[in-house]
Amino acid sequence: MSDPSSLDAGAAPVPAKPVPEWRQYVRFLRNALSQSVEGGWKFYVWMTLLTAVFLVGANAWAVQVRDGMAVTAMSDHVSWGLYIANFTFLVGLAAGGVMMVIPAYLYHDEQMHDIVIIGELLAIAAIVMSIMFVVCDLGRPDRFWHMIPGLGKFNFPVSMLTWDVIVLNGYLIINLHICVYLLYKRFRAQAPDPKMYVPAVLLSIVWAISIHTVTAFLYCGLGGRPFWNTALLAPRFLASAFVSGPAFIIVAIQIIRWQTGRMFGEGAIRTLVGIIRVTILVNLLMVVSEVFVEFYTGGSHTSAAKYLYFGLHGHSELVPWIWTALAFTLVAVLLFLQPGVNRRPVILNTACLLAFVGLWIEKGMGMIIPAFIPSTLHEIVEYRPSLTEWKVTAGIWALGLMIYTLLIKITINVHSRKLRDASGARTVDPEDALSIPSEG
Amino acid sequence: MNDPDPDKPRTPCSGNCSCSGGSPTPSDPIGNPGGSTRRAVLKGIGATLGVAAYAKALAPLTELTQQTSMDEFLQKHYKELTKEELSAVLERLTRETKEQYGADVTIADPKPREGVKFGYALNLSICNGCRKCAEACHLENNHDRPSHQSYIRVFEMTKGSMDFEKGDVHYDHPVPQPDKYYMPVQCQQCEHPPCVDVCPVEATWKEPDGIVVVDYNWCIGCRYCEAACPYHARRFNWQKPEIAAAEINPDQSYLSNRIRPQGVMEKCTFCLHRTRNGRLPACLEACPTGARVFGDLNDPESEIRWVLANKRVFVLKEELGLKPQFFYFFDE
Amino acid sequence: MIRVLKQHPVLAWGGLVILVSLSSLAAVWAQKSLSTAEPVESATAKKTHALHPITIKPGPDTPRLDTGLKDSQGKAITAACSTCHSTTTPNPARNTAHDLVQAHAGLNYNHGNLTCLSCHNAKDYDSLHLADGRRVAFPDVMTLCAQCHGTAMRDYLHGSHGGMNGYWDLSQGPRVRNNCVDCHDPHHPEFPLVRPVLPPRDRISVPAEH
Repeated sequence: MSDPSSLDAGAAPVPAKPVPEWRQYVRFLRNALSQSVEGGWKFYVWMTLLTAVFLVGANAWAVQVRDGMAVTAMSDHVSWGLYIANFTFLVGLAAGGVMMVIPAYLYHDEQMHDIVIIGELLAIAAIVMSIMFVVCDLGRPDRFWHMIPGLGKFNFPVSMLTWDVIVLNGYLIINLHICVYLLYKRFRAQAPDPKMYVPAVLLSIVWAISIHTVTAFLYCGLGGRPFWNTALLAPRFLASAFVSGPAFIIVAIQIIRWQTGRMFGEGAIRTLVGIIRVTILVNLLMVVSEVFVEFYTGGSHTSAAKYLYFGLHGHSELVPWIWTALAFTLVAVLLFLQPGVNRRPVILNTACLLAFVGLWIEKGMGMIIPAFIPSTLHEIVEYRPSLTEWKVTAGIWALGLMIYTLLIKITINVHSRKLRDASGARTVDPEDALSIPSEG
Repeated sequence: MNDPDPDKPRTPCSGNCSCSGGSPTPSDPIGNPGGSTRRAVLKGIGATLGVAAYAKALAPLTELTQQTSMDEFLQKHYKELTKEELSAVLERLTRETKEQYGADVTIADPKPREGVKFGYALNLSICNGCRKCAEACHLENNHDRPSHQSYIRVFEMTKGSMDFEKGDVHYDHPVPQPDKYYMPVQCQQCEHPPCVDVCPVEATWKEPDGIVVVDYNWCIGCRYCEAACPYHARRFNWQKPEIAAAEINPDQSYLSNRIRPQGVMEKCTFCLHRTRNGRLPACLEACPTGARVFGDLNDPESEIRWVLANKRVFVLKEELGLKPQFFYFFDE
Repeated sequence: MIRVLKQHPVLAWGGLVILVSLSSLAAVWAQKSLSTAEPVESATAKKTHALHPITIKPGPDTPRLDTGLKDSQGKAITAACSTCHSTTTPNPARNTAHDLVQAHAGLNYNHGNLTCLSCHNAKDYDSLHLADGRRVAFPDVMTLCAQCHGTAMRDYLHGSHGGMNGYWDLSQGPRVRNNCVDCHDPHHPEFPLVRPVLPPRDRISVPAEH
């Protein structure tokens, strides 16, 4: 969780204070952690529920490691399944979370500052989840250290997977640095030094694009899989990321408002809806373009798309998935395009939920699985996730929600001055709910 | 086995899972300012239950130590093993095969011969689809028995079409059928293997004699190579291979047919434990028609070079530009 | 806001994507161009020392007919072809499977337009003969096959037809090769239909769902 090294660099020693900076920092972390697990009964019920689901997933994973991946429904034909599907989606979610930073910092949209940290925290939780999905997909997680540069062998720069390892971990570190630094400064009631975090914020924007681009390159660089082998994959991933991220944040803001009773982020929601209105249409356009090229061209390279949308030679496992996704997306489009949707929470939340689930299917079951069906030698072996895979998936999502809940709680505590350094002087206006200061 | 710290190597993630804010039981009981005693007690109980639940949930991991020794966990990459380390590894693998499968085997490590580059050609005019090659592969390479695993898949193709979509691997009728021809597919040992490019840990590479090998003790099992291969040549060990002691081929090598561990990739190695010692691959010897031609592409006098020079030869999916070293040809 | 988003980010994001793509592709390309260097074709398999032989399995011994009788020790009593054929005049008209009688009745015979005497030697049933009349002993039957099946023989001699065992590298060991008639019955040389073995299974046997 901590990123002390980056803090050491810029933290100037405060001469008058007897307590050294690092002890302040440790105290901050300790207090943040301990206070984050304090809460009302609703909080405990929520966390207990998530813990229970997580434990079910952890157990399923442990059994999978012991007995082998045979407990999944994957095969030599469909060698990636639900795990990699979720991984792909979550990388998008992580990228989408930070996309909120763009209006805030590039266009000085003050309204967006309120929610930047919500997006950054979402990015942290989503990245942790996506890394866990990859680990759960490994046949030999005990050999994870083979990937650590210096210790193992790191096939950089040839393997796109090593790029992914770098950008995902780098992204995690950047976002942790930004969030922890800003929260710490607020905890100390000091004004954050723009030099310490603005470059990181700008870097995170570039980095957000890179994580999803590199993840798309993982797939679209494979000449043997025509379904993935399209240059449109990375742009499509990005477009959909800018839907799923904002959709999640819109719902998250409302939940936080409801739980804390503080009204904030009205303008932010308006901006987010504006973003979604564009990106969801861009994404849909790209899907339509892909479908057109596939089907109008025809030939054997269309088999995967045929299988996905209509079924092939009597096999149609994925057909209900993709049409559900398309239906959800279309309904979401219609709802989002309604005037004043951001003032009608029921419609707004329905739209967000539909868009979120629709994209989860489209980028998972609709993007990863059909590339394997038919196989490279045109054999059709179908895939339906096993119970183990569902359990592990639910477990990781539960863990991700736990992480997100705790992070948000820490943030609220810090901002509401529940959690603060008693000795600190008040230099920051406590009224702004969840904002982080702008660099200007 | 005699693992001093059995849990640690197998749970790289569990530590991560339980500490990254999961349970309401942080290792920091001090951080409880102003909480009542009752609340503290309740939290204590919750914490204890939580820890117990975690331990229970992850218990299956501890059973793994029966399969993975500390030496295996810490083993270096094949290319970085010294001669002594390699022989110690081979000795350990031999011992583990005896312990886990009850078979006495010899695990050697034949090196590529200088100047030799292996090539394989297959005569589609005379292949009769009997799948004897697939069976020979299954036996020679100590494949998992229940899954009928083999590095070779034989496609029954319709005459007049090269379309695999019209092919069938599950045919079960007398062969050859008059309107069909048969196309065995195995690793094409590409000159530019995409599986090697994508591997994040260099667990697979192309040897100087052209064979793409896997270090089964280094592979992390991410299956990216399986996604990258356009020839369906790679196989994953979805579980620990099952094979009776009496059926185990004792003539083994580190990079080819030793019994693979669970959770790693494997592939056809042109039987390098045989071919690097001058012998023909098992699939060729099993072929009743002589459809298979194996040899040294660098030797202008070799049979394979004669085939390349005199037959109508093609490679699968040539448009991908991977330069397979496995060729198909027709008579006449 | 939306209008701004529509204009600038497209440029900004596009540029970034291009940067990332270019750098990664450059890296991959660099690697590929390194590995395109073909290995030098060196003088291969040293043929200085004596090579091991390629042995072709001999054809059958001079055939004998199973009379169906057993001797006192229970061994089958067989008779040389010449036992009958020395006293019987061959009938060249009997050339199809159902024409054949006596000891040859029921012989599965289907070999192009050949007649019995195309290969069998009417003057000496313990040997065969070529088209030009030269005698061929049964173990040397491949010479006889080769006179019609020239392309098959050419392929055979170049190792691309006919099963074999042993060593591809003759400096390390010998090779044994099948004779034509090991696989092809000379009376109906078409390769017989066989039952394929080891049907593939697509899914590994899955233990009970957890």
